[in-house]
Amino acid sequence: MSTTLTGKPTARSARPGLLRGLTWLVLRQHRAALGCLLALTVLCSLWIVYQRGQLTELLDAQGWPEKTVPQPVVGAGYRNLTALLGLLPGVLAVFLGAPLISADHEQGTAQLVTTQSVTRRRWLVAKLGWCFLITLVACSVLSAVFTWWWRPHRSVLPDIWMDPSVFDNTGPVLPALALFLTAAGVTIGVLLRRVLASMVVTLVFCVAAQTVWGMVRDRLATPRTITYPLDADVPARLHDAYEVDRWVASADGQLYGWGSCAEATEQASRACVEEKGIVDNVFQYLDPSQMAAMQWTGAGVLLAGTVALTAFTLWWASRRPL
Amino acid sequence: MAETNIAGEGPGPWAMEARGLGKRYRRGWALRDCSFRLPAGRICGLVGPNGAGKSTLLGTASRQLAPSEGELRVFGVPVDDPAVMPRFAYLGQDKPLFKRFTVAETLRMGGELNPGWDAGAAERIVRSGDVPMHAAVGTLSGGQRTRVAFALAFGKRPDLLLLDEPMSDLDPLARNEMSTLLMAEAVERGTTVVMSSHLLSELEDMCDYLLVLAGGRIRMAGDADALVPAHALVTGVTRDGGLPAALTRHTVIEKRVQGRQFQAMVRRDGPLSGDWQVSEPSLEEVLLAHLRSPDAPALFTPGAQPETEGARTT
Repeated sequence: MSTTLTGKPTARSARPGLLRGLTWLVLRQHRAALGCLLALTVLCSLWIVYQRGQLTELLDAQGWPEKTVPQPVVGAGYRNLTALLGLLPGVLAVFLGAPLISADHEQGTAQLVTTQSVTRRRWLVAKLGWCFLITLVACSVLSAVFTWWWRPHRSVLPDIWMDPSVFDNTGPVLPALALFLTAAGVTIGVLLRRVLASMVVTLVFCVAAQTVWGMVRDRLATPRTITYPLDADVPARLHDAYEVDRWVASADGQLYGWGSCAEATEQASRACVEEKGIVDNVFQYLDPSQMAAMQWTGAGVLLAGTVALTAFTLWWASRRPL
Repeated sequence: MAETNIAGEGPGPWAMEARGLGKRYRRGWALRDCSFRLPAGRICGLVGPNGAGKSTLLGTASRQLAPSEGELRVFGVPVDDPAVMPRFAYLGQDKPLFKRFTVAETLRMGGELNPGWDAGAAERIVRSGDVPMHAAVGTLSGGQRTRVAFALAFGKRPDLLLLDEPMSDLDPLARNEMSTLLMAEAVERGTTVVMSSHLLSELEDMCDYLLVLAGGRIRMAGDADALVPAHALVTGVTRDGGLPAALTRHTVIEKRVQGRQFQAMVRRDGPLSGDWQVSEPSLEEVLLAHLRSPDAPALFTPGAQPETEGARTT
């Protein structure tokens, strides 16, 4: 390469190609991160494809869905994979988001780039754009592949749809959660301007955010309520439902807590039931048909948070010296 | 006391023009009420004690800091306009570079981010220092890294080069080499250079224009050739332990009385006559006197102060 440079010193600026300007710089600076993330995405996808193939083989051999299959149909591979996908947004936030701008502050390269002929805002937009794009692509691919595995086999797989391992790893939730946490990591990095400090704070933030998200998850849709007689079997439609709450009720609709008549002896229980006139079970639940709407609502909330954090980051970094 | 203005040459094209420039941090003003002009094509030394506002001034000029008040123009373009960015290059104390980039990639970055990139010039500067093109920047010595940083700065083809003590961490040999390179490149292109430095002798050799800052304010601005002769070093015998009355008509920058002897650095306001000895000070002596006496009235040589500013009092 040095010989061509000596021969044609101007060839460098005339080199054709798609990667120009800030795009080239950002990709060159973060090529290790890009390579790791691409490798992770490809390997994880292949792993899912392999596990799905194994599961399909097993189910075909057992004659599913005509016959029932003995549980469990999946082993540690499934659990490890869902755990990995569940950790991915936090890992991206801590290792990609937090150092994205703070590393350039710490090493002074923010000053280097923004004293060339590009403004601070353009540089930030390029960095954030790259970071969000690979987060979105990687998580969308993984979520799509995992959904493709989970959806046809949901009745035989161990987790129900409201479990974090399914709800957060399928559909739009995985990319939205990753984008939100990564944007939070970037914001924390811009505020703290130190790599290690911002990574630690981002980790703490991720734990807190995941906890809050766990509490918000079952409020993303209005629960449905079904009333059925006290001595009847649970209706079939509740088999895959997520229980929010349940009561017992008298004929006039008066609700009593589920344990209201849990007495020491069956006789005492019956006496209590008769005294209060309890005739019905009341069951409040989230139906699996609400899943898609809940996932998109949740993704919408997270994306709104991402937009707010990004706007704040751009505003803050443009008004503050680097 | 009023500022002294020396009559003489008129205005020209200005590389830098500040009017009432100020920058306030949380702990106070780092730069206050700075008004000066720097003609294009000069090598300007920026002098002042630590914390005088030199880095703040250079940071403002290189768009890393937004001024709190006033305005700064670079070749007539307000510094908050992005159009000013290709006109200047900045080299700071720590000369940050991407450590994992090779030298070739660092130069490519210059090409990718600057519209008027001169790849030939940048490569020539790197090669003349025998810096291997494919070495990672992190593995280079301090002198080699500074050379790469200089190549990046000159490859941008700036009209104004802002240097914030970029050679402070170099050994004397590398320092000399860089100074020579800087002067050769600047003279060849007619680049205006603003460099801050603590080495007064270095400034004396290289600079033909001076900006002296103290306490966030301009103390002196103008041609080095005109600033020095405006001062005189007066030695004589004191009668009452103070300066002779005839001398206090002039602006006294600094005085020292030792026994019956006095020595004073004065700014001439008319002919100096009396029973004392007058000698011409060196640039270093003038600068040191001003650095030791930050309360002395400001001095601007003609054109060094924006016209509309008029007569100001300090």
